[in-house]
Amino acid sequence: MGKTVTEKILSRAAGKEVSPGDYIEVSSRLPITLSAGMGRGAAQMEGAGATRLFNPQLIHMVDGHTGSTASHNAGESRTTGRAWAKKMGVPIENIYELGRQGIEHVVAGDHAWALPGEVFFQVINGHTTTLGALGAFAITLSYGSGAYMATGKTWIRVPESVKVVLTGALPKGVIGRDIAEYVLGQIGPAGAAGQVMEWTGPVVDALSMDGRFTLCCNALFYGAWTGIINPDQKTMDYVRARNSGPFEPLTSDPDAEYARVYEFHVSHVVPQVVPPPERYHVFPVSQYEGTAVNRAFVGSCENSRIEDMRLAATLLKGRRVHPDVILNITPGSVSVLKQCIKEGLMETFVEAEALVASPNCGMCWGANTPLAAGDVCISSGTCNYPGRMGSKDAAIYLGSPATVVASALEGKITDPRKYL
Amino acid sequence: MAVAEMRGRGWTFEGILDVDWHICSFELLRRLREQGIPITDEELGKYCMTNVDPDFPKKVQKGDFIVAGENMGYGHDHDHACRSIKGAGVAAVLCDSTNANFLRNSIEHGLPIVECPGILEATKPGDTLRVDLAAGVVANLTQEKVFHFRPYPPFLLEMIEAGGLYPHLKKEIAAGKY
Repeated sequence: MGKTVTEKILSRAAGKEVSPGDYIEVSSRLPITLSAGMGRGAAQMEGAGATRLFNPQLIHMVDGHTGSTASHNAGESRTTGRAWAKKMGVPIENIYELGRQGIEHVVAGDHAWALPGEVFFQVINGHTTTLGALGAFAITLSYGSGAYMATGKTWIRVPESVKVVLTGALPKGVIGRDIAEYVLGQIGPAGAAGQVMEWTGPVVDALSMDGRFTLCCNALFYGAWTGIINPDQKTMDYVRARNSGPFEPLTSDPDAEYARVYEFHVSHVVPQVVPPPERYHVFPVSQYEGTAVNRAFVGSCENSRIEDMRLAATLLKGRRVHPDVILNITPGSVSVLKQCIKEGLMETFVEAEALVASPNCGMCWGANTPLAAGDVCISSGTCNYPGRMGSKDAAIYLGSPATVVASALEGKITDPRKYL
Repeated sequence: MAVAEMRGRGWTFEGILDVDWHICSFELLRRLREQGIPITDEELGKYCMTNVDPDFPKKVQKGDFIVAGENMGYGHDHDHACRSIKGAGVAAVLCDSTNANFLRNSIEHGLPIVECPGILEATKPGDTLRVDLAAGVVANLTQEKVFHFRPYPPFLLEMIEAGGLYPHLKKEIAAGKY
């Protein structure tokens, strides 16, 4: 019986053949991305009496969650984070503070810190799975971060894999985000509980790297530990352009064993909307067309890469945001921002009277332009539970950047296909 | 704390329970911070499951269990939910299934999670349950039903006995391991 790409990566990392259910101890030689404000990890280490990082060179501190806002203790955490980095010997060039900042997962992708065939850890959050698009086993250390930074080791219960085969071709106006939500609607919130979602098939092969990042970003909403895509030539080209380090890619065997195989033909899929408050109730946009919105957001680790920005600009070019609506567009990183400027997208955004915020997670978790009670927002962010983007008396609908911008233009939830 | 064998009442919860809403509002963290209230397990425990059952923190007794369905601890890896459950006095969470981040965070906080398909359907609110992590057995003493799960490996039992990852690490560091 063959092995999945995940089992192969974990076997190599453990130095022995492993199977689902095995408990193993794992280390990674790759950079570890931290949010810039390291208050908690520092406190965890200090509380345990750990005075040293196992390898300060690997620590990369990225200001992604707070950015240039005053909320969420942003200023204080930056100050303590800087002081901690200095004390612990983290190289100054590893600090991606304001001016070099971005969403941690986007910055990690910009630099290809995750590599095919390797285990990749981030301290911050469940969307670390985004980097599975590079063929890495990418997970967050979460609460265990401080311990990992002290010891360089963590425990893993080897997960089963679920294979998702996407066939057909993406219709016009439907992007990776719509597919991610469509599949969520089909397999449900426990469709891959505790497992790894391995995305395969001709649609995945044809998808851009930006689209693949979005697919893997969504993993936790199916209950999956992470998402992964077998590396191909596109992956190799993407990685090689950004990271000259050595690596050996791994891919699943044709006879690998999966807990389940889901196959979806996507040629008929339409733009998808996730209404409040449950994350996994997914509907075609037509179901909510006409719902009035006064706030809109293009950004987050799901959809803040250059392709998302280009899509937003395609819809906004020569148009103006509806006067009832504030449209917040937040590029995912300074690299994305630079590219937006180079391609003239910023001019389109500003002419359309969209608000362009400095790169960070920002509005997705209420860290800039938070929602007030009674606001109704259409968002390309990650979550729609009450209080996620500010007031818990605001309503959040999720959709692709195209759906968000089309809705912002009309002041109501709108099928974007008529603009494309 | 003897965690290998536990005994208490089961509190059942149907449906998908999101860490950031059903188990404990994510927005609560911001509110407590703004009010200058220290965020402790006990403080979060006062709000445990209140978006589903407002009286739960008053009803639950130390050593009781939460019994849940599929993908318990849905959504983000936000561990305030694990702290809230622990702070409410819950000894362990039994569920049909869970996800890796909720599982890891809970165990690392010293809160055992037991995956036992069928457990929710087989449990009535208030049933007395016995859980043996080392043997991999859940017994519903009220209904006289027994479930088996893969026993916890010794290193995880040790971590839970120590009260979680960090108390355990502290011991290891004090012993000169790192």
